[in-house]
Amino acid sequence: MAKEYDLLIIGGGPGGLAAAIYGGRAKLNTLVINKGAVGGLATTTREIVNYPGYVNVTGPDLMKDFKAHAESFGVEFLKDEVVEVDFSQEEKSIRTKKKKEFQAKAVIIACGSEPRLLDIPGERRLRGSGVAYCATCDAECFEGEDVVVIGSGDQAIEEGMYVTKYAKKVTVIVLHDEGILDCNKVSAEKALAHKKMEFIWNSTVEEVIGDEEVDGVKIKNIKTGDSKTIACKGIFFWVGMVPSTKFINNAGINTDQRGYILTNEMMETSVDGVYAVGDNRVKYLRQIVSAAGDGATAAVAAERYIDEVKEFNDNISNSEKTVLLVFFDPKLAESLEFLSMMERVNGTLNSKFNVVKIDVSMKKNLFKKYGVTTVPAIVAIERGNVFERVDPALDESALLKKLECI
Amino acid sequence: MNIEKLNSTKFEEIIYEQECACLVIFFRKNCHVCKEVIPELEEMEPEYKDKFLFYSVDIEEERPLFQRFTMKSVPQVLFFNKGEYRGKIAGLAERDDIEEKIAEVMG
Repeated sequence: MAKEYDLLIIGGGPGGLAAAIYGGRAKLNTLVINKGAVGGLATTTREIVNYPGYVNVTGPDLMKDFKAHAESFGVEFLKDEVVEVDFSQEEKSIRTKKKKEFQAKAVIIACGSEPRLLDIPGERRLRGSGVAYCATCDAECFEGEDVVVIGSGDQAIEEGMYVTKYAKKVTVIVLHDEGILDCNKVSAEKALAHKKMEFIWNSTVEEVIGDEEVDGVKIKNIKTGDSKTIACKGIFFWVGMVPSTKFINNAGINTDQRGYILTNEMMETSVDGVYAVGDNRVKYLRQIVSAAGDGATAAVAAERYIDEVKEFNDNISNSEKTVLLVFFDPKLAESLEFLSMMERVNGTLNSKFNVVKIDVSMKKNLFKKYGVTTVPAIVAIERGNVFERVDPALDESALLKKLECI
Repeated sequence: MNIEKLNSTKFEEIIYEQECACLVIFFRKNCHVCKEVIPELEEMEPEYKDKFLFYSVDIEEERPLFQRFTMKSVPQVLFFNKGEYRGKIAGLAERDDIEEKIAEVMG
């Protein structure tokens, strides 16, 4: 049996944890499923100096506070990995790597991003023997040696500077023209003036060289086409991130070409009741504070969505009268005329029916649930079950006659 | 950390004298990738009770051991059987990969 929750959050980084705090506080029965250490990418940051209220804090410490805060509102945590989802029904289903199954009324996808691999010859083979991705973990291993850094974003330049504490020299391979780095200006100025840092411009890396351990790296100048080998003992890859959204492949969620999830300002995805927050969605700024903001928005939107669905279902299944669901599109004049005709007919029949108007631009899920393909449409429901579809093309008197007989 | 820590003397004893079938994770306390791999190993250990042993080495306490296997990063999981080094998995090792490697080493 699948265990049921109100709100299920996939991912325990700042976005997921903020959503959990809001979900827990709204008394939603909330579960966070998280693959690795709680805190996500933020736990890999040694120093955070721009999260409001914390002048200087480490990533792991800040995330510990986030988690404790969520737990104080009764949020549950599970260490596991989501491998399959089915979002086609009103109740969303999720399966994990440890073969557990869950159902939830709403789902927030907050699984962040992961380092991009270049997959060049030698990269995988020499991983751990000179090929590295984490400065905190490995910088000390290169005490007094030559190290190469690939990339010029914030992470490449800031982590590269950290490596200079131990390495004899750090050579940065940059794709762009001389002087242009992708990172923030403050770090760029520091790095360009750094005594232990050197830059090779207009270049990419082709191969990591070495038998048992890294001996060097082959780089290519993209302007001249010339290749050359630089001797080094270590090579750090910081060539950007890719969203960790593979598991939603067949769930009907719209993404951009790179796999980042598209949302509106309420964090709604293209599937009703499914939201996306933080680094795994298309957005302008990827920071802890903006991920947390996403999480709050999504949890509030999810709470309202859950309420609406419940209210709707209660309204329909508990109605004494026969319910007429009238699907309409507010952008179409004929749709609106049809609505007022329905009201008139029901008035003539002394409000025989409980007329529920459904704006199809807002309630796409109901559109699907009741198999409606065009508007206007009328679906008659008794004690929760569909028992007749009324032809919307009838004129007023024919409609009146038809509804009298129901 | 529930996985038994080894110093160099114990390492010699277990790997080369008793010739145990085992894995050893080399880690550093402040390494976040280690913090992801270690809990995975802790969870797996009971399943292999008595058949395959799990050990750890803190590289800050045991530098010479770390240098001996030409390692340049942590975490790394090294595999041994019958007194022989049988390979390693570096970085963010997935549970499936570790299980596969154990099966191969015990083979």
